[in-house]
Amino acid sequence: MNRPTFGYAVAALAAAASFAVPLMLDRSQLTIFILLGTAVIVTTGLSLLMGYAGQVSLGQGSFYAVGAYTAGLMAVHGLPTLLGLAAAPVLAAALAALVGVPLLRLRGHYLAFATLAVQLILLSLVGQFEFTGGDIGLRGIPQLGVGDATLIDPLAYAYVTLAAAALVLLVTRNLIKSRPGRGLRALASTEVAAESAGVPVGRYKLAVFSLSAAYAGLAGGIYAFYLGYISPGSFPVLLSVQFVVMAVVGGLGTVWGPVVGATLITLLVQALNSLGTMPGMPAYAPDVLSYAVYALLLILVLLFMPRGLLPSIGSRLEDRRAISPTRS
Amino acid sequence: MSALLQYVISGLALGCTFALVGSGFVVIHRVTRVVNFAQGAFPVIAGLATASLLTRGLPHGAAELVAILLGGVIGLVVGVVAIGKPGTPPLASLVITLGLAIFAYAVEIIVWGDQPVSFPGLSGTVNVAGARIQQQYFLVIVVALVTFALLELFFGRTYLGKGLAACASNPYSARLVGISVTRMGLVAFALGGVLGGLAGVLVTPLQAVSFDSDVTLAINGFAAAIFGGLMRPMMALVGGLVLGVAEALVAGYYESAFQTEVALAIMLTLMVWQASRRSALEEA
Repeated sequence: MNRPTFGYAVAALAAAASFAVPLMLDRSQLTIFILLGTAVIVTTGLSLLMGYAGQVSLGQGSFYAVGAYTAGLMAVHGLPTLLGLAAAPVLAAALAALVGVPLLRLRGHYLAFATLAVQLILLSLVGQFEFTGGDIGLRGIPQLGVGDATLIDPLAYAYVTLAAAALVLLVTRNLIKSRPGRGLRALASTEVAAESAGVPVGRYKLAVFSLSAAYAGLAGGIYAFYLGYISPGSFPVLLSVQFVVMAVVGGLGTVWGPVVGATLITLLVQALNSLGTMPGMPAYAPDVLSYAVYALLLILVLLFMPRGLLPSIGSRLEDRRAISPTRS
Repeated sequence: MSALLQYVISGLALGCTFALVGSGFVVIHRVTRVVNFAQGAFPVIAGLATASLLTRGLPHGAAELVAILLGGVIGLVVGVVAIGKPGTPPLASLVITLGLAIFAYAVEIIVWGDQPVSFPGLSGTVNVAGARIQQQYFLVIVVALVTFALLELFFGRTYLGKGLAACASNPYSARLVGISVTRMGLVAFALGGVLGGLAGVLVTPLQAVSFDSDVTLAINGFAAAIFGGLMRPMMALVGGLVLGVAEALVAGYYESAFQTEVALAIMLTLMVWQASRRSALEEA
């Protein structure tokens, strides 16, 4: 099988599997599935930003929060919920474009700290303001729906999330294959060379930053409608770290890496959660286990598989195929 | 008037601890070009450890010293993981130190639990122009100033310190004259751990620490370090003092909830301003 057909086959298989899986899940498992889907959406954007624009964002949770609050506030004030869901990525992207102009002058470590700072400032502002519900949060966000028909069944949300994730993956794939995608790859390796080859470095970086924020905003919108309740505590710094872990573990700058990373981490954390809440375990066990897992996976992958799980395993398979004598 | 004096002195003391955390950032970044996200873990661990050691009956002084040395050992461990493997790019090292900071959460919760911990420092108060000020504030200020003076002597006068400074100014020629840049990097991490530990030991009697205090400590320390572009320890002292006083005044006269946001806003503004004065070639 040559590579493109192989890729399409895998994609079709993944699509079919993710379409069938929700039908077999119970209510709490569906919640995990939906959270996994939103994590895939956010991580795809972050992977694009880290892998292609070479920028680390530790504040992706802030755009997730902006999306959630946009959708939640609009819905609470009686606007159509679909409009809220559509506005979530737009507003998140707009905020990213706004803060991106000064912030993207920074690089590497500085940008990482700056994005973290943006999230901390945003969370504290949200906690102070009256209209966002302050520290208590925003309650009673209506269900997503058109007119009188509303989605109540978690299964329906699972498919909404799935559709959103598919859209995001498709947009990402097409972007990477396009001419701007090649420009982005050039700018990730050396900005000066890319600039001199005619890549509008500043504009492209801002565009990717905004796009990744739009993904996070979309995911945040879905999250707000599904849970019906959001507060500053829903978007801790650790959430942003979690997205970084998923992106790094899966493999930066690949289309499928975020899917692999998010799925692996979500399932692992869930497994450890049920282990940690077993009788006889101390009360702090679930927290400790998930911290330890994030930390160890992040460190081990960076040290021993710096390109992430998916590319590392992929190239290992390819090497084996290339040297096996049966295949010539 | 006495309220103002109180705010300023408490701000200076708090600023000194920011400066100590910040100088840890600077020492490590100068030599290794890595911004150590686990920097906030050193003061937290040292503070928690001192409290435990004191309850175990160790006298004041000894407990603090052990905790500071513990900070140094943990700094060394962080350094080994972050830069020990040859060929780890600085940005990967950054994310590794982030991972280590999260790992520290797990260890801290297992060992010390998740509740804030404190221990008594110097208990008396001093009357300064009508303001009653805790002696601990003066202790923090004096210890920090002495530490910065020693740090300056260390970099300027000792063999090891000069080696560190050489790696900071030009790693390539430092290697040519026979300095092991990796080993110097590890020394820098250990020193960063000691400085962070010292900050933790000093600040814990003033503000209880818990496992997640590291974000505030690291953010404030980084903001202080940014004043010197992450390269000059002395400027971190200036930065820390400015930040500490500004935060104390905001908390005293306006609203204590915005205390950290002041540091964040100053830090963002400074970073963007510094970046706009550097060319892309210089950074690459």
